[in-house]
Order: sequence, then structure tokens, then C-alpha cells
Amino acid sequence: MPPLLLLPSHCPAATHQPPTSARRRASLAALPCPRAGASPAPEALLPRGLRAESLPRHVAVVMDGNARWARARGLPSSVGHEAGRRALEEMARLSGAWGIRALTAFAFSNENWSRPKVEVDFLMGLFEQVIHDSVADFLREGIRLRVIGDLSRLPVSLQKISREAEEATRNNSLLDLTLAISYSGRREIVQACRKLAEKVQSKALRAEDIDEELFADELATGRASGGSPYPDLLIRTSGELRLSNFLLWQSAYSELFFTDTLWPDFGEADYLDALSSFQSRDRRFGERKF
Amino acid sequence: MNQSPPHMSQPSVIINLTLGLLWFIVHLAINIFSLWSRLIYNIESYLISIGLFPKYRKFQLERLKYLAIVVDSREAKNVAKIEQLLCWLSTIGVKYVCLYDIDGVLNKTFEPTMNGSRDVDSGNSHDVGANIKALICCRSEMTVEYISGSDGKEGIAKAANLLCSTYFNGDRDARGNDEIVFTEADMSGALKAIGCGGPEPDLLLVYGPARCHLGFPAWRLRYTEIMHMGPLNSMKYGAIVKAFYNFSKKYQNFGK
Repeated sequence: MPPLLLLPSHCPAATHQPPTSARRRASLAALPCPRAGASPAPEALLPRGLRAESLPRHVAVVMDGNARWARARGLPSSVGHEAGRRALEEMARLSGAWGIRALTAFAFSNENWSRPKVEVDFLMGLFEQVIHDSVADFLREGIRLRVIGDLSRLPVSLQKISREAEEATRNNSLLDLTLAISYSGRREIVQACRKLAEKVQSKALRAEDIDEELFADELATGRASGGSPYPDLLIRTSGELRLSNFLLWQSAYSELFFTDTLWPDFGEADYLDALSSFQSRDRRFGERKF
Repeated sequence: MNQSPPHMSQPSVIINLTLGLLWFIVHLAINIFSLWSRLIYNIESYLISIGLFPKYRKFQLERLKYLAIVVDSREAKNVAKIEQLLCWLSTIGVKYVCLYDIDGVLNKTFEPTMNGSRDVDSGNSHDVGANIKALICCRSEMTVEYISGSDGKEGIAKAANLLCSTYFNGDRDARGNDEIVFTEADMSGALKAIGCGGPEPDLLLVYGPARCHLGFPAWRLRYTEIMHMGPLNSMKYGAIVKAFYNFSKKYQNFGK
């Protein structure tokens, strides 16, 4: 049943947004790719309605819906994942152009290892190909790549290409792109605990000194996202309304934006909707540090 | 030399007036649209609450074993609204609700006036821990747990503290230089030991201006459905029923 009408984002019943095809699309000029290390885009490059001073500094995205997108078209899931790759590339380009400093994308969860081997092998190959093919673009566009997650489970070749890409792009500063592969929020918390225990073992720290700040420093994202490990905006596509073990610690104050759009269809207009929704929210967190 | 004062030509005045009128019309249209959507929302909530829609009367609540409510701390001071919310939830048939606000307003407000006893057995059965750091009371067959920000990130840091202390106070000679290995079960056990255990909610309703979970205990949020309900002052019984109905239709594959 179609919705009665299009609800504005401030209406509480608008728990999530309907697909883009049901809404007006903004007409936008193509945005140029900024030079590597350039300062954030001036206001003139932002689409109408967005204010540079209230854009999120760090955006996280759960890229959900590739397989459903492919099934809806009678195509194999591999086609959906390829289309999802293009959507991520576009989102990274837009993020850099609009001055967003960090983008963290949930590409593969710990639970995804239970999927059919054929699909898992395809995805590992796709990640390797994407990272390998994108390094030159990252260098040109000033993107710093980081990969977080349980990397020990990844194929050796993917581990190697990830390390090389991280090393090659480590001095870029326009956009921090973090790919969460084989990632689990709970595992990240346990790993942080283990690292603190190692510091206690080496007498660098006392157990009783462990607090929130020290704990946060040991999380993988603490090092991966430059100066803003906590996403201001967390987007999940395909209509699901949960975190699915993604950035459990870091998302305490993240604005959650859920949309019915499937990930391969998530484009510039959808991204603008998410950013506009973020800007329209009354985010009053007072003096509390997080 | 005197210059004649600048003046606007008639066409530019007309253009400015036209643009101003268009601006006013656009804003008026947006405001009307906003009012209309609020009206529709209120009407729908009312119709749901009087049971006009059969589907909202007949859905099954078995999947909703644990419900969590996050309330903005400023709005959590509205005791009457919280009481009303709990009453509605009890009426709908919710068996376990965890109430959270980051500053602990709910803890301070409801602990002194809590009816019923600190139910140790109930606490143990729900993994809240023997020390019952979270307050539990039984309200007409509904268990209510009150937690705050200190049960969230601070709780995880304390659990890490406990894990490290326990590990290094154990038999060091036997461990030698073994690599330190902690598991998720270890962390769950540590959280339970310090009274920050508790079940993972199936559904979390957020009341407040911002659509975020405000630091709800991260360890318990893995697969929780999260729905933003708007300000607590505007809460509607019909909106809660609709949220539960939508939840009952959800399917989770847990990543598989």
C-alpha cells in the first residue's frame, strides 16, 4: 500500500524514507573532483539547501540490499554487488566534493561468512579488485583508505593488497574512507579489551586506570577515521532499522537515517535527502562529551 | 555636485515584489504540507487506538520479548508521561521493558517511588546480575529495568577493568607469556558480574528530538530494531501499536 502522503523528515511517523523514485529528484550540476589534499568544497559547490557549516563531518553507511536488488531483476547476486560497488564509488566522490571528512562503509560482516561459499568468494575477489583498481583514483582524489575488521580471515592476497593500498594512500587528507570487512562491533570491543590487557601486562597501564577514553583509543576506528571516529550520520539502506553489529560503541550520538532504497540505487538524490534530514534535526547534546 | 538620489526602476520593484510573493507562497505551502502531515499522523494514531484497523488489533507480539525505550534526559523528567507510557505498554502486553536515559534521570526519579521489591530472581533470570545495578520492579506482570549512561560505555570500560584484573590476578606462572585471549563470552560475563548485563532488546523506541540511541549499552544493541517516535510530549498510543505491528512484520536474516 503506498503511503498516504510524503511525510516531512521531522514528522515522527517518518521512521524511514520511501524510495527515491517516489520523490522529487533534485537537478544538480556535475561536481568536479577536487585536487588531492584540497580544502573542503566552498559553499558554491554544495547543492542548494545544504549548509557547509552543518554538514556531518563523518558519515557511516550500511550498504544493504545488493542481493535483493539483483533478485528483483532476476539477476545473480554478483551483479547486485557490482552495482553496489558503483554506488560506493559515487558516494565517496560526492563526500569528497562536499567536504565530508570521513566515510565508513560496512562492506562485509562477521556474520556474512555464513553465506554460500560462492558468494563469499566472489565478494572477496570483488574487494580485492576494487581496492587494486581504485588506488590510482584515491591518490588523485586525496582519499586515504583504511580497512578494519578481522583481517586474519581474509584471503592472503586481499590482506596484502589492503596493506599496500593503506600505505600508498596514508598521506592523503581530503577524505578518510574506511571499509569495514569481516567486521563485528562486539569483536572490536573485545579486541580493544585485549589490547588494554597487553598494555597492563607490559606495565604501560594499570588495570584500574582503564576508562572510556582509554578504551575508545584502542578501537579500530579510533585510528582509522582521522580526528572523527564517531559518525555524525549513520545511513542504512534497504528498509532495515538496525545496526547489525556495526559501530556499536561509536554510534551513540549518530543520527540514524533509514531508507527503503536498496544500496545499488542509493545515489546523489538519496544522499542529499540524508544530509538534509541531518541538518534539519534538532541535535541538542549540551555539554555531554561522548 | 549634487547627485539625484538613487531610485529603483519600476520593473525591478515589480520583480522584487514578485520574488517576495513567490517566497511567501513557497513557505506557506511547506507549512500547510507540514500541518497536513501532522494532522494525518494524529488521525491515524487515533483510529489505531480505537481499534478501527483490524490488522493493528490482531498482530502477534510473541517476537517482542524485550523492549527498550530511550528517552531524551530533558524529556525524561516528565514523570506523568513516563507513567502513562508504561501503562500503555503493559496494556498492549509487553512483558519486559528497559527504560534508558543517558543522565540517569529515570533512575533518580523512579527508584525512590518504585512499587514492588527489588526482584533478585527476576534480575538473575534476565542476566542483570545479582547486584542488580539496574533497578527492577514488577508492574502488573511487566518487568521494568531502569538504566543510564553509566551502564553503557562506562560499563564496558569497567568490564574491561574487571577482565584485566581477573586475568592478571590469576595463575601468572601457568600462563607465562601466553597470548592474551578474551572472547565475547568473557565480556558478557564481566558485564553481568558488574550488573551491566541484561537482555538484548528486540525493539528500541527512541523518544526525543534526535534520532539516535544516545549511548544505549552498545553490547546489547547488535540486532535491535530501532524506531524513532518523536518527542515524548507528543507520544500517541496508536503510534506505539503501529510500531509494534511494523516490528512484527520484520524479518531478520542476521547477515546470513
